[in-house]
Amino acid sequence: MTLSLDMAKRMLNAGVKQAQGMGNPCSIAIVDENGWLVALHRMDGAVIPSADIARDKAWTAAAFRLPSSAISKFGNPSMPGFGLNTQNWNDRLTTIPGGLPIEDGGDVIGAVGVCGDTPEQDVVVCQAAIAALSAQA
Amino acid sequence: MEELTLEMAKRILEACERWARDIAGFPCSVAVVDKAGALIAVHKMDGAAMATTDIAIEKAWSAVAYKLSTLMMSRWLDPRTMGEKLGDHAFGMLGKGKGRLTFIPGGIPITGDDGEVIGGIGCSGVPPGRGEIDDTAVCEAGWSALYD
Repeated sequence: MTLSLDMAKRMLNAGVKQAQGMGNPCSIAIVDENGWLVALHRMDGAVIPSADIARDKAWTAAAFRLPSSAISKFGNPSMPGFGLNTQNWNDRLTTIPGGLPIEDGGDVIGAVGVCGDTPEQDVVVCQAAIAALSAQA
Repeated sequence: MEELTLEMAKRILEACERWARDIAGFPCSVAVVDKAGALIAVHKMDGAAMATTDIAIEKAWSAVAYKLSTLMMSRWLDPRTMGEKLGDHAFGMLGKGKGRLTFIPGGIPITGDDGEVIGGIGCSGVPPGRGEIDDTAVCEAGWSALYD
């Protein structure tokens, strides 16, 4: 299954609703499995840089097929990936929590990134967006 | 109409997508930015090329930055009229805007009730040379949806 714009819109609507309920204006980005932007919404009141940061989180989650919060473990000198921060990574690599891969039957079909409030709350919005996808699929 | 909201941006995008799909027949990316040029929403239609997303955002930004449609700005660099509209300034514009400024037609500013620019729309993905069917027309379809 590939990520369509309709699926992305459904996820964005669910994410925006969740964020509104928490009183937390934020930006939500949906990227495909290769990290290319499919759709992005910046809610009224969300600060300007949040749009780019949300996109970076989504890109990171799609590129590594991991939550963006899991990337920081590669910064441990005992890990084989130590030093990955010295590469360019398309100027998008981030270790801030708030980016989650979207999985469909074990395959990663895309990723969602949220930036607005604390990283913990961003993850909650991510999860709400992904839940909307599986609820109707 | 003083401030563009996400709700208005979604209405614009919806109309752009409908026009691009049903009338133009080309999948494309459409972006809406606010009066500061900051992105509010962008959609890439299924089948549109990956690069179109960023180009749409940059077209919308450029239209707000110059308060002009990028179609008009492209005329500055038209070799047939080069120098007539901007004089010797024309080529100097190319390096400006921190790499974001684009002179490709397909971005329009949105004006509010008092004539001030309150945002912009950018579209990328419709191939050139199709007469009335172009990126600018997709943007205009979205703009008119604000007045429905």
